[in-house]
Amino acid sequence: MNPLELTLGIMTAVGGFVDISELVFAAKAGSQFGYALIWVFALATVGIIVFSEMSGRVAAVAKQPVFNLMRHRLGLKLGLLTLAASVVSTLITCAAEIGGVALILNYLTGAPYMLMAIGMTGFFVASIWVLPFKWIERTYGLLGLFMIVFAAALVAIHPPWNQFARGFVPQIPNGLSTKELLTFGYFTVAIISAVMFPYEVYFYSSGGIEEQWGPKDMFTNRLTSIIGMGLGSMLAIAILANSAQLFGPANVDPEIPGSAALQAAIPFGKWGLILALLGMFFAVAGAAIETCMANAYSIAQFFGWMWGRHKKPWEAPRFTFTWLVLLLLSLAIVLTAVDVMVLVEFAVLCSILVLPLTYLPLLLLAGDKKYMGKHVNGPFATALGWLYFAVITAAAVAALPLFILTSGGNG
Amino acid sequence: MTPDSPIKLVSELLDLPLVDSEGSFCGIVDDVEFAGDGSELKLKALLVGPGAYEQRMPGWMFWLVRRIAGDRLLRVPMQMVRTIGAAVELECPGRDLGLHQSEAAAGRWIPRWGAM
Repeated sequence: MNPLELTLGIMTAVGGFVDISELVFAAKAGSQFGYALIWVFALATVGIIVFSEMSGRVAAVAKQPVFNLMRHRLGLKLGLLTLAASVVSTLITCAAEIGGVALILNYLTGAPYMLMAIGMTGFFVASIWVLPFKWIERTYGLLGLFMIVFAAALVAIHPPWNQFARGFVPQIPNGLSTKELLTFGYFTVAIISAVMFPYEVYFYSSGGIEEQWGPKDMFTNRLTSIIGMGLGSMLAIAILANSAQLFGPANVDPEIPGSAALQAAIPFGKWGLILALLGMFFAVAGAAIETCMANAYSIAQFFGWMWGRHKKPWEAPRFTFTWLVLLLLSLAIVLTAVDVMVLVEFAVLCSILVLPLTYLPLLLLAGDKKYMGKHVNGPFATALGWLYFAVITAAAVAALPLFILTSGGNG
Repeated sequence: MTPDSPIKLVSELLDLPLVDSEGSFCGIVDDVEFAGDGSELKLKALLVGPGAYEQRMPGWMFWLVRRIAGDRLLRVPMQMVRTIGAAVELECPGRDLGLHQSEAAAGRWIPRWGAM
């Protein structure tokens, strides 16, 4: 792998990391709990790095993406159940991303929200149809790097860096009422879900197959997942910290996804706002395409169809129909005029419930010497994998009660 | 692993993807068919297609699958299997065994222009 390709791959991972759910929950978490939830972002980021690296390694060595092997491990009935749950949760996530993009365009241009949702869905269809996989991934990922303005804004507002650093230490703030404690718990679960969305692993491992990774790409896989996702997560953490510094003390609750853009407007004025909105636009648009393709990958892989956007759309026709129908279904959800914030809340709730079923087969496969040979999980990866499996299982068990008790984090 | 080696049917063969000699995915091992008199069973064919789900899921679930995906069932003779690993690799192109019929049928509806 040449250094330019590697750098581009890492930058793509950075720019493509943040999606609408992370934007929303980072801004809300900072406003309500200051720096106290930074550690959850850090914890979940290590989790997504562990599982992405594992899925990339399985793709490179076994030459099979996650869902192909998931059915083999879970069997037909449990596999079908996982597929159905995953398709529903990712479909809601895709609708939330389309709604988010339409909202951002509405802020940027003043054009009607519904019209923007329809227009952007048409644009996504054209993007996936015309561009091969690498172009799709790179274009949206690299343009998402406008999000760096949030990190620059954080530096510019001179936050109390010692408090920021203390946020990385696992903690529960003192003096919270029972209601606030439950909301803190809900935010913890929601952030884990938003950072570790199952679609990210489906997309990442399928991307490895699309780009024909082999054992020689193991270093690229490791570096892309660790550095790319690690730095990408720092952008989400910057949004949280900006929110803690700017919104919290002013009692501003960032109720709409666009609120986060104001964080860059405060230190940098109009151009800060425009760069932030552009960064959010490309990051969320990229996530809309990723969620749609991840869902189509899952279905095609489960039934053994031809798939991938390294093929022309007519060379994998059932896959093509699937992503087209999924995009239209997501648009249909948006056109019911359901609030984007409601979609985001349901997306994180449904996803956390699916997470354990997604990651268990992956963990078993990556630890299976028969498939993985010398690239099998070592003791460190195995320990981390099972630790995170315990974390997401606990989060999945707690998610529904916390969602009900806190009315989706709204107290 | 070759088709003649002893294999654990459920853990090593069932639900594996099929990849043809041209590297294309062309189905999943949905079930298997045996030959023999009961004292010595040998794998005769791999069964591919939603029709093979009937024995593997509750009746109501299969009813739903049949309504959505039909009950097509194809047999892939074991002589056509090259290796069994993370996928089952076939000796010939999937179209020679009729495994690409549904893709071809869907492909007739897709316009062939505009993609890079």
